[in-house]
Amino acid sequence: MAELSLKHIDKIYDNNVQAVFDFNLDVKDGELIVLVGPSGCGKSTTLRMVAGLEDISKGTLTLDGRDITQTPAKDRDMAMVFQNYALYGHMTIYENMAFSLTLRKEDPNVIHKKVLAAAEILDLTTQLNKKPSQLSGGQRQRVAMGRSIVRSPKVFLFDEPLSNLDAKLRSATRREIILLHKRLNATMLYVTHDQTEALTLADRIVCMSMGHVQQIGTPLELYLNPNNIFVASFIGLPPMNIFDVAVKDGTLVGKGFTVPLTPEQKATLAPYNNKEISLGVRPEDISEGGDMVMDVTTNENLGMNTLVHGHLAGNRITAKLKGWTNYRDGDQVKIAFGRMHFFDKETTQAIRKDGNVK
Amino acid sequence: MDDQNIRVDRMRFSKNTQSSRLALLAIVLNVLFFISIYKYVCKDASRSDEFYYTALMGASILYNLVFMLATFLSSEGVKNYKPNFSYIMFGLAAIQIARIFIYPVSAHAQSGLMSDGQFIRLIVYLVLSALCLVGAALINLAKSRALAAHTASLEAGKA
Repeated sequence: MAELSLKHIDKIYDNNVQAVFDFNLDVKDGELIVLVGPSGCGKSTTLRMVAGLEDISKGTLTLDGRDITQTPAKDRDMAMVFQNYALYGHMTIYENMAFSLTLRKEDPNVIHKKVLAAAEILDLTTQLNKKPSQLSGGQRQRVAMGRSIVRSPKVFLFDEPLSNLDAKLRSATRREIILLHKRLNATMLYVTHDQTEALTLADRIVCMSMGHVQQIGTPLELYLNPNNIFVASFIGLPPMNIFDVAVKDGTLVGKGFTVPLTPEQKATLAPYNNKEISLGVRPEDISEGGDMVMDVTTNENLGMNTLVHGHLAGNRITAKLKGWTNYRDGDQVKIAFGRMHFFDKETTQAIRKDGNVK
Repeated sequence: MDDQNIRVDRMRFSKNTQSSRLALLAIVLNVLFFISIYKYVCKDASRSDEFYYTALMGASILYNLVFMLATFLSSEGVKNYKPNFSYIMFGLAAIQIARIFIYPVSAHAQSGLMSDGQFIRLIVYLVLSALCLVGAALINLAKSRALAAHTASLEAGKA
């Protein structure tokens, strides 16, 4: 059992800079939570506060109902995996993995069993006599994870563990983390700025910006129903296209294009009739055929799909079209919008049914 | 896996620091012997000069260097459970015992050249140094044989 609860957490540095504002989160036992956001949004600071490496300025942190807000890091029963691995270069992999237990003066035979078990899980059995410098980046990161596993902590904390790896290795190590989570069924908090990692790994995502939580939800919730323009733009690759449009008698009128609304959409946008809103359309929700004309500037073939960049009546637009296309600069493509997202122009919050914001 | 097996299995990933440290201790004891031997008590300095300043002194100094180098290399060898270094250590230990009869005994035989206390101290250093080497060698032999048998059984199990 490891249920973590963060209530009204603030982080204010000595120079009065506030990095985290009123952070609230309940992490269930065995859940993998991903904190995602751009650099400087406060996600690593939050993780470090949970780990005990940063003081919590305000709020309460509890682990299984026990208040650990002021508990020193060493007594929190949490293990952290860092971006730079933080392995001891002069020690072998075995010694690195056994180090924390050796410091605790555990029985060497027990340490041995734990290290071998962790090495087996992480497929490091044949590497135990090597030094970290003899391993690849992915293997080193697995050692860092192994060092956490042997401690059998209540909570695993990952601070951008894949950022130092190349794309191929990142993808492979990501799969290993998913398998590891399934196997250990441990509570994990994972920080990343990579939305692909967040979408693929998380049970729930916490999307942050400027120290504020923007939305907490499952990857699909954040993808399909983003709370605001920030989440809509941050989650999904390429980012969502955002247009300024006006709601006029059942249609959306943009600069040089018009989009008819379904009765349900009309009802949703009824309070915004004759007002300006922001329209969001994901590139993958744009298809060929339709009435709107897109002027192509670049064509990026990805194999199964093609990213076509261009302008829609002067507005920048990216479409992810199915199949292989060979459009050239200056070509015109007829497009249609599929699923659309509406946002209040002033608050940037999503407009949901009955004109409710969010 | 029972405790005995785990203890042996641990050796696959840990060094034989016990033997290695004993070998290093043998070097320290040899240094103590070396810095104590020329501290003569004879009031007539010329008699000491006559006794010590011979080719034997040069050979003794040279052997000290060889001993320290060989023991250090052996300590690294036994650290990795290499059994051959145990035999080198047995040889070095035998020479340490033999050295008792070269300088301390012959110098002590010269009246007034060495006190009884100094003589006993020198013998103790050499004997302890030899014992450390024998201990290191025996521990290494036992461990390296156990590890070799364990590794063979693991490989047989894999096959």
